[in-house]
Amino acid sequence: MSKVIEVTDQTFKEEVLESDLPTEIDFWAPWCGPCRVVSPIYDRLSAEYEGIFKFCKLDVDKNPNTVAKYHIMSIPMQMFFYSGEKVDEILGAVPESTILAMVENMIKRFPVDEIGKLKTILSSWVEINRNYSNKFNKWANGVNNLESNLTYNNIYQTVKDVNNSSNKLSRALLELDGNK
Amino acid sequence: MSYDIVIIGGGPAGLTSGLYSTRSGLKSMLVEQGTFGGQILNTRLIENYPGFPEGISGAELGEFMYRQAIKYNLETRLADIVQLDKEENYKVSTSEGNIQTKAVIIATGSNYRKLNIPGEKRLSGYGVSYCATCDGFFFRDRIVAVVGGGDTAITDAMELSQHASRVYVIHRRDQLRAGKVLQQQAFNRPKLEFIWDTIVDEVIGENKVEELALSNVKTGQKSKLKIDGVFVAVGLIPNSQAFLNILELDKDGYIITDENMATSAPGIFAAGDIRRHSPRQIASAVGDGVAAAMSAFRYIQQQNN
Repeated sequence: MSKVIEVTDQTFKEEVLESDLPTEIDFWAPWCGPCRVVSPIYDRLSAEYEGIFKFCKLDVDKNPNTVAKYHIMSIPMQMFFYSGEKVDEILGAVPESTILAMVENMIKRFPVDEIGKLKTILSSWVEINRNYSNKFNKWANGVNNLESNLTYNNIYQTVKDVNNSSNKLSRALLELDGNK
Repeated sequence: MSYDIVIIGGGPAGLTSGLYSTRSGLKSMLVEQGTFGGQILNTRLIENYPGFPEGISGAELGEFMYRQAIKYNLETRLADIVQLDKEENYKVSTSEGNIQTKAVIIATGSNYRKLNIPGEKRLSGYGVSYCATCDGFFFRDRIVAVVGGGDTAITDAMELSQHASRVYVIHRRDQLRAGKVLQQQAFNRPKLEFIWDTIVDEVIGENKVEELALSNVKTGQKSKLKIDGVFVAVGLIPNSQAFLNILELDKDGYIITDENMATSAPGIFAAGDIRRHSPRQIASAVGDGVAAAMSAFRYIQQQNN
């Protein structure tokens, strides 16, 4: 499943420039043929490198400010950032091996501290739990009279435990932020 | 690894050869250096490929061709081709290792010819472009130049005039090579301005294209032209460098074949834009791909007997 983050003019600073991880951003447009060839590669890599490397994309049709700021005049253009600075780029559609080499090279050049990696893993974990907890609640609100059933009762209890644990993780994350 | 057939190039010709060779039962490998689909990926809407009355985007057609080609056990590899040698059968040397094969189909097509002037490479992607359809969007209300005088240059200039505020066409002669109808249309476009007898010496700019340094070839006069983008449309170069040692090429570097796609070396076939006198159409490339695969099949059968 793709973990590529759709970035806009509004979120570019937060997602790319202030990212804790080395980050790639793919400048693309719906009308760009070669963009369609590279985007599945990023979808795949984003899942594989979750918590280690961040993949973003930006629709050039909708975000003129970022496009102007980085002088984007040809797409697909893929830029690589670390700690608020552009450190490398790939112009055009290239094979997966080229992209992979660049990502591996970035990871070597800009090692992320262990706390940074841990934070990324924990925050996506907490978010997944929150999503599923919401889904469960939605489902549970729609059904009646299941509390008397022992199996369902067990499930309700387990969900409650998971939610509690997830809240603990959230608090731990805040503490990690404080320690940094 | 040893194969019956190695196809070099993953555009329409190569993908079609792959489809036919796997369906005829040959153990086949397709080697591509960039992205499957080839040059057609850069075309927004293809309106002259039969079977799609409303047109089809190049990306979609490329994807369809690729999916169909790999349906019957076509093996694929992403690698640069280094050289082709006669050795037992043939040895294809690639950046990812060597491959032994009985027959080869070359479908490597062509690439944009570059000007090879200072600043061109450094500012590629920052105002230097080879594809008006791809990058014209970024030059809305800007000033651009097109270098060249053929059909592609003029078509590019017309397309760019829909976005840009002004389009200069810089040509080294005093008249265009483009077709007469196209020329007439171009001369009637108020946004187009022609700079004759002129070549570009340098692309100037720090982070993006800002100026061109020009020379008039008749008077020798030098000048500067302020622009935001330059589109280079000075033709194509066939991707045949890896085969110089083994095949007969014409003076422009295209591979010479007979009507069965056979080249000067037995067992090596060529298909698509890389062939001399190719009409350079998707439909003709597909046809070449079929013919080359069938010829290769017959060749391998004869070898086996």
